[in-house]
Amino acid sequence: MASIDLDKMLAKIKSTQWALSDIDWDAPGAELITEEQWPKLKDFMADLMWIEHVGARAFAAMAKKAPTDTLREIYTYFHAEEQRHANAEMALMKRWGMLEGDEIPEPNINLRLVIEWLDRYSDEMPVYVLGTVVPMLEIALDGALCTFLLETVKDPVCHQAFEKINDDESRHLGVGFSVMEMQGRGKTFIGAAKMLAPLLDPRLMLGIASYVPLLNKMRDNIITMGLPEERLYAAMAKFEKIGGRTEDGRRNPWFQVIRQHARFVVDRNNRAYHLPVDGMVKLTGLIPRRALPAVPSWVKELTYQPTA
Amino acid sequence: MLIVGAGFAGLGMAIRLKQAGIDDFVILERANAVGGTWRDNQYPGAACDIPSNLYSYSFAPNPNWSRSFSGSEEILGYIHHLVAEFKLESHIRFEKNVEDLSFDEKKGVWTATTDKGEKFAGRAAVMAQGPLSNCSFPAITGIEDFKGHKIHSARWDHDYDFADKKVAVIGTGASGIQIIPELVKQAKHVKVFQRTPGWVMPRPDFATPQWNKKLFEKLPASQQAMRNLLYWTHESMALAVIWNSPLTRVAERVARLHLRRQVKDRWLRRQLTPDFTIGCKRVLVSNDYYPALQKDNAKLITWPIARISEKGIRTVEGIEHQVDCIVFATGFDVSHSGTPFPVKGRKGRVLGDEWQGGAQAYKSINVSGYPNLYMTFGPNSGPGHNSALVYMESQLDYAVKGVQKILQEDLKVLDVKESVQRKHNKAMQKRLAKTNWNSGCKSWYLTEDGFNATMYPGFATQYAAQMADFEENDYETA
Ligand SMILES: Cc1cc2nc3c(=O)[nH]c(=O)nc-3n(C[C@H](O)[C@H](O)[C@H](O)COP(=O)(O)OP(=O)(O)OC[C@H]3O[C@@H](n4cnc5c(N)ncnc54)[C@H](O)[C@@H]3O)c2cc1C
Ligand SMILES: [Fe+2]
Ligand SMILES: [Fe+2]
Repeated sequence: MASIDLDKMLAKIKSTQWALSDIDWDAPGAELITEEQWPKLKDFMADLMWIEHVGARAFAAMAKKAPTDTLREIYTYFHAEEQRHANAEMALMKRWGMLEGDEIPEPNINLRLVIEWLDRYSDEMPVYVLGTVVPMLEIALDGALCTFLLETVKDPVCHQAFEKINDDESRHLGVGFSVMEMQGRGKTFIGAAKMLAPLLDPRLMLGIASYVPLLNKMRDNIITMGLPEERLYAAMAKFEKIGGRTEDGRRNPWFQVIRQHARFVVDRNNRAYHLPVDGMVKLTGLIPRRALPAVPSWVKELTYQPTA
Repeated sequence: MLIVGAGFAGLGMAIRLKQAGIDDFVILERANAVGGTWRDNQYPGAACDIPSNLYSYSFAPNPNWSRSFSGSEEILGYIHHLVAEFKLESHIRFEKNVEDLSFDEKKGVWTATTDKGEKFAGRAAVMAQGPLSNCSFPAITGIEDFKGHKIHSARWDHDYDFADKKVAVIGTGASGIQIIPELVKQAKHVKVFQRTPGWVMPRPDFATPQWNKKLFEKLPASQQAMRNLLYWTHESMALAVIWNSPLTRVAERVARLHLRRQVKDRWLRRQLTPDFTIGCKRVLVSNDYYPALQKDNAKLITWPIARISEKGIRTVEGIEHQVDCIVFATGFDVSHSGTPFPVKGRKGRVLGDEWQGGAQAYKSINVSGYPNLYMTFGPNSGPGHNSALVYMESQLDYAVKGVQKILQEDLKVLDVKESVQRKHNKAMQKRLAKTNWNSGCKSWYLTEDGFNATMYPGFATQYAAQMADFEENDYETA
């Protein structure tokens, strides 16, 4: 992946749009989901859908802070595309009878905290913070989760949907890494110290406090479903490789932070990291639902229906 | 004398010529009725956003405006009243769509040719075809595929019944925010597709009490006083809207408060918050737009549009929004770098070619090489904060001075000097660089390259001063 021309990328994005109605959600194949698979797949899909949705909101925040008009428009598209992924994944859940009534799956408590944080603070974050976290999550999704899902699930409609989703994701990654490199171009861009300054911002600390347990919890869910841990290592290695392929990329201090953190997350033997974090997961599990404010209205925009 | 266009500008020109004792002119109008903007923009909710007492001609005051911001129909009524009062009807030639305007230097005559090949000649010509008279549909893929009903705000379909219909509105500019509240009242469901939100200010609209109309009628000076008050209020807004000043922040504060008061949901507020400096694009005014969006049968959609399909609008979040009718409130073709029809001057010069890089004129009204030709709403004459008609009046009076000179001195050519025009524009662009319009947002004020050929960078008072004297030395005569 060489650095890309963002204007060409935007044109490409615009010309490769798809819609839920391009897929026949009632086509045969749903019966290929085994009974044994079903309950785990249900949790997995709900997590996946929520990651997409949370990713969507992160792109919305990035659009607000984008340094150029082109990048702002790209992020605006990515915001909507992630929403499309969440919608399509919900449509799959519907197809597989995994939605109770017509309800959106309940987000778990860790997700709720992240949603809350995104809603309150993400718009204030400098673009390079989310600009590094998001590609890391995307590569985990793309490289580990989705491939794994496709190996496990035989339903052709699922394959059809993920072919489209993965096409989008490859563009998200292309842009993501390019931007990380742009940001590493210290002399022309921003000094490392300045870039890391937000780490001291209590708003960001709050974000980290909600994001860190979420990752651990998701990792556990995924592993329950049978995803080999090596897949996650491989995805992280890919993030390090692509993110660090150039001098500029490596110089981006946020790349260094996230890379280190990603290593901690996937390495379950790192007790210094996981003991306290798993503790946090337990703790957050004790937060009563009532204590949380109502979900923000952007969450209610999710739908599995191709037409409205 | 030739006048192209029977909107506010063309008719105002006619009135001022008559008042100056010049009676020998025709107005060529492509439609079959007068009124221009206000004949075409008859969509529900259409109204001016500058108070009527200021959005009218000072030489023809109307004491009877029913509201502080009158609706389209009432404004059109005022225009018809102008035609009757100043006996203009006999001068107007309807269904004359001008397709070419050429100057014959030897004779000193402009000839207008219509699409039917008819020719009209005059010693001077006024281009008053309006800056916003050609409506435009957006370049969205699949727009022809749509099988439902399509309506453009500037060509309203009065026969279409919205009751029980699902409607999409594309565009949330000046027209969009006027139409939407009305449609929400009439239609079953309204989806509003927004690309960029604009700044919306509260609108102090109220009905004019009877005593007030009586007062204006009996004591015209009181109406003049009102007009003056409104004029200076709007002039002061220039400080906020045109230049980035502390008042700009104040104006943004007011708009934000308006949004906060009317919209409680945080995400909706975020969707409606602009990310450009106020004034960079046209400032909107409305009290009922935000409440309308929050009605049960309305929804704001900010996902980008991917394409239009047979049944509706597909947005990038993957959903097809199916509707019976799409209303395009998407504005107008504004030419920054061309002319609406070929204009040919001395020695075969073609104005559209010279304007490739952006339109330029002298004092917005004359162009060197195109003698005896006057433009209303020419390059850099647009107001961002005050009534267009205030600007228009000084253009009309300037044109009358030019025409009088041509007639009195029996000139064949009255042409502004190239060097004078160049100097004028250099100063103009220097001043524009410091304004909010050139502060980085895309708008119809700018060309693709960001050249501002539209707006006047200053107070209406400054513009009036610029237009007040006709410097004979600026012109070459023959
Ligand atoms: C919805 C809307 C709201 C507005 N509100 C305000 C406001 O509140 N305040 C304000 O100051 N301004 C407002 N404006 C701007 C408005 O356009 C001007 O104020 C003014 O009405 C323009 O008058 P005009 O005569 O120059 O142009 P027009 O009114 O457009 O008249 C031009 C005429 O020329 C005719 N014509 C065009 N081309 C040809 C041709 N080739 N041959 C023959 N005839 C031709 C047209 O048919 C038309 O009748 C608004 C505009 C719109 C669209
Ligand atoms: Fe995605
Ligand atoms: Fe993505």
